[in-house]
Order: sequence, then structure tokens, then C-alpha cells
Amino acid sequence: MKRSQHFCLQVGVALALLTILGVLINNLAVNLIRTDMGLSFLWLGRPAGFALAEHPLSYRPSDSYAWALCMGWLNSLKVILCGLVLATVIGVLAGAARSSRNLLLRALSSGYVALIRQIPLLLQLLFWYFVAFLSLSGTPLAPLGTLIRVSNQGIELLGLHLSVEFSALLVGLSVFTAASIAEIVRGGLNSVPRGQWEAFRSLGLPEGFGLRRVVLPQALPAILPGLTSQYLNLAKNSTLAIAVGYADVYAVSDTTITQTGRAIEGFLLLLISFLLLNLLITGGMEVLNRVVIRSQQ
Amino acid sequence: MQFGPSPFKRLKRHLLATPLDGLMTVLLLALLGWVATTTLHWLFVDADWQVVSQNLPLYAFGSYPPHQRWRPFLWIALLIGLTLLTLLGPRRGWIRKALPLVWIAMVPCGVVLLAGGLGLLPVPSHAWGGLTLTLLLTACSGALALPLGILLALGRQTRLAVIQRSCSIYIDVMRAVPLIAVLFFGQLLIPLFLPMHLEVNRVLRAVLAFALFAAAYIAEDVRGGLQAIPRTQREAAAVLGLSPKQMIQLVVLPQALRTALPALTNQAVGLLQNTSLMAILGLVELLGISRSLLANPDFIGRYLEVYVWLAGVYWLVCTAMALLARHLEHQLSPTRSATSKQ
Repeated sequence: MKRSQHFCLQVGVALALLTILGVLINNLAVNLIRTDMGLSFLWLGRPAGFALAEHPLSYRPSDSYAWALCMGWLNSLKVILCGLVLATVIGVLAGAARSSRNLLLRALSSGYVALIRQIPLLLQLLFWYFVAFLSLSGTPLAPLGTLIRVSNQGIELLGLHLSVEFSALLVGLSVFTAASIAEIVRGGLNSVPRGQWEAFRSLGLPEGFGLRRVVLPQALPAILPGLTSQYLNLAKNSTLAIAVGYADVYAVSDTTITQTGRAIEGFLLLLISFLLLNLLITGGMEVLNRVVIRSQQ
Repeated sequence: MQFGPSPFKRLKRHLLATPLDGLMTVLLLALLGWVATTTLHWLFVDADWQVVSQNLPLYAFGSYPPHQRWRPFLWIALLIGLTLLTLLGPRRGWIRKALPLVWIAMVPCGVVLLAGGLGLLPVPSHAWGGLTLTLLLTACSGALALPLGILLALGRQTRLAVIQRSCSIYIDVMRAVPLIAVLFFGQLLIPLFLPMHLEVNRVLRAVLAFALFAAAYIAEDVRGGLQAIPRTQREAAAVLGLSPKQMIQLVVLPQALRTALPALTNQAVGLLQNTSLMAILGLVELLGISRSLLANPDFIGRYLEVYVWLAGVYWLVCTAMALLARHLEHQLSPTRSATSKQ
């Protein structure tokens, strides 16, 4: 194609896109005027009027919608950060178990991955909430003494109380994401040449030590990109909190929109908060990536 | 040929290589044994399966009018039959050639069978439900999302700045937003962006939102396939004098889609699992109907039975989809087509 043809094509596409956008926005304007809404963000300052079961900072129903949304955002951040850590731990263990010499351990790990990945996350969350946690008795199970106690009131970890909604969401998200992380870790470990394994084994190094010090550092560059996308998935999936009644940013937005009817503005705010979360995660992983690359030079 | 170690020795090497390994094996065996006995005991003794056995039609068809239930039944039966036929791999050439077309035809066929028209009694969309609705949502949104995703991927690859930029923005923004938000706002916003008197029912709104969302993910998978094509392929096509359109249709896309097939399978399975999110937004698909059943006083507290049953159904459907995809992959693999010509 010639240059002029390229130019005409681009102008044509741009015009078509603008026309479609124009029609959509026109329809929106007509509908907003018809329902007497208009676009405004003034409602953010008004008192929210609903209580939140969990809020990291002080919050009362008389506080503004903006503050309620902030609490939701902090709640999201809390479950996402804890989930990242827990999912990584479980995922790396399960992934390493896939390359273990023990047949039983390998079978167990692949069974876990196959089972978890074929069942919808929402169903798993409902299971953790209604079956695993709420059907426990009130007296806490304490397998490790005072270190960790589990009951239908949630988890008590070193004296820190985690609500049952938070616990169910955290466990569900982590177990689900860890299955994908295990696959990524396995792929990364497989990408390390077989000779490296044989080398540390023939040196008489213990299996765990060799895995940590010889194989894993070489596998990390192959693991990190996949890990980033799983972390982003975990962040997005954390919005299923609404199914177990945990007040994350989506659940608070949902209540806000139902009360105020401000769907467009609510959507824009949610979009911004998720772009922000994504930036945080990709930024953090970028730093980690650079550290790993530098440490290997 | 060398003889391997005896089975007993091999077992010993796999399970009892070191004392620590042995200890782990014993502990794992004890754990597995305990889990297996408790699970079996629950499955056959403790569990009360009435909540499932009394409501099978509800799980399958939702509140579809009873005397019209043969229509969703026929659709699901056709899907199962077609799956088996494809997996068995018919010998007759013409059946094999017709299969892709029949698969595509299942989408409009399902819509007509469920909605009515063409001489069938119309059934409003709020009466659709259960597994039928889950499958219909998956099929329709998948059928819409695939071409849209391919177009987006091609758009992101062009050198035309306007097209490239708009496709990139669409893909990146869609991939940053959680699905539940897209679905929720799809229900709320799609009516706001349409002319006043154009009514779009809830199922169609859900299908549109799913398709718009999935297209962004499919686009990235297809882009991965596009990037895997060596430059020489395009050069060869150009040397042969193919037009840009022919090059994409005959050389680039077939190879890119074949490479992207495993990733696309994962998307399809993910799409089916994600239709369960519509339960939060009030559609009575497989998970939604179960939630309303659990609210019924007769079945209160029967969470575990219902969830285990649902997990089984989802697992079965997802596995069937994965099997179909692996079959397709095998059919399309270049080594196989090379040998079959010999």
C-alpha cells in the first residue's frame, strides 16, 4: 500500500471510531438528562450511611462516601498483599514438589493442580466460607498451640485476629492462585538444564539446599514474568470478596452505586483504583526483576 | 536393549531413596488414607444427596417451562453427541469435514431452541437457567469474542498508528479491570449507552459484557501466536505475490491460531468457569440456581453436598472441553498432517 492510502485508511478508521463514540456519548447524555442525573462527583462528600464490618482506619457510617471507598481500597490491598505471600509460598512448595524425587509427592502435587484449576474460583470461595470456616465449632482448633487458632470466628494468628470473611477469601484466593503458580514454577525448574541437577546431586548436596541455591536462582528469570501475571490475576480476583461479604473496594463501590445511582462515576473511580493497583504490582515486580538480574551478573 | 531395575527396586528408588524420603512417604500415605476414608464415608454414609437427586431438572434447565424442557434437553444431548463423535474421530472424510461447521451451527441452534421462534413457542430469557444457561453463555460469548479478539490482535500488530493505538488502549484497559466489575457495569451501563427504547435483556447484556472482556484476553493470546511466526513466512508470502489480505488469511492466521490453541483452550475453560460470576448478579445459571436452592428451607445447610456436586459438574464439562481442544491440537499439528499425506 502507498503512503497516501495508509493515511486515508487511518483517517477513515479514526472517523468511524469517533462517530461510534459520539453516538454512544449522545445516547448517554440523552439518558442522563432523561433520568435527571447528570455527571458529578459532589456526592463523594456526602455521608455514606452504611457500616463496614472491617476498616483498617477509623470509620463511622456518618463519614463520607470517599472515606468509605478509601477503606474498601485498603481492605483490598490488605487481602491482596497477604494473598500474594501465601499463594507464592504454597505455589513454590507445590511446584517444587512436582520435581521431587518422591513419586507420591509428585502425584499429590499434580492432583492438587488438576483439581483446583477445573473448578470455578467463586465456587471454591463459597466452599471455604460456608463449609470450611462457618461450619467449624466456636471452640478454636489449635494444632500449634497459641501460634494459630482456627474457629468459626476466623483465624487467630499470634494474637492477631483475622475475620472469617477475610480468612475464607485469603485461603480461597491463595489456594486457587497457587495452583497456577505451581505450574509456572514447574516450567521454570524444567527450563534449568538437567545437568545442573545432576551436578549438585553428585556433589552430595542435600536436595533442598541444591534446589534453593543452585536450581531456583537459575529458574527465576523464567518464573518472574508468569508470576507477575498471576499476581495481577489475584488482585483482580480479589473482587469476588463480595460473594463472602468482605468489604473490598468493589463491594463498597457496589453499595455506593446502589445507594446513589451514580454508575458512571463509580465505574470511573473503580477503574482508576484498579489501574493504580496494577501499577503497584507491576512496578514492584519490575524492581524485583531488576534485583534478580543484577544479582546474577 | 537394557533391562531396567525390578519393579520393587524402582518403587524403592521412587519412594524410599533416603530415610527422610521414607518418612515423608509414610506420612503422606497415612494422610492420604485418612482423607480417602473420611471422604468415602461422607460420600456414601453421611451425605444427604436429596438436595441433588430431587432437583436434577432444576440444575439442568432452571425454571424452563416443564412441557418445553425437551428443547434445552435436545440441545445438551446434541452437544454431548457431537463431543463424543468428534473425540471418536470419524473415518468418513465428509463427516470430518462437516464437523467444524456443525460445531459453529450449535450456537444459533441453541439460541433458537431456547428462545423459541421458527414455529417454537417463545420462552422469555428470565426462564432460562441451570447448566443450559451456563453452556449458552459460554458458547455465545465465545463465538462473539473469538473474531473480535483476532481483529484486535491484528490491529495491535499493524503499523497504522491510529488503529494500533486504539486497539492497545482497549486491550490494556480491559485487562486491568476485574471481570465482576465489567459484568456489573455491563448490566447497568449497556442500557445507558443505547437509544432509549432499545431493550436488551439480561442474558444478552451478560453475553455482550463477557465477549467484550474475553476478546481482550484472546487478543493477547493470538498476538503471542502472531509473534511466534518467523519473518520468513511473511517474506515467502510476499515473494509469491500474495496480497496483504491473502497473506493474513492463508499464511499468518492459520499458523498463529494453531500456536495459540493451547492458550485459547485455557481461555475457553476460564470463560465457562467465569460464567458462574453471573450468580452474583442474579442470573440463575448453574451456581445461581444452587444458591436459590440452598435458600430453600427444605435444603438448608446442605452446602457441602451442593458444592461437591457442582464441582463435579464443572470438572466434567471443563475436562470435556480440554479433551476436545487436545484432539483439535493433535489434528492440526504439522507433523500429523505431513504423515497423513504420505
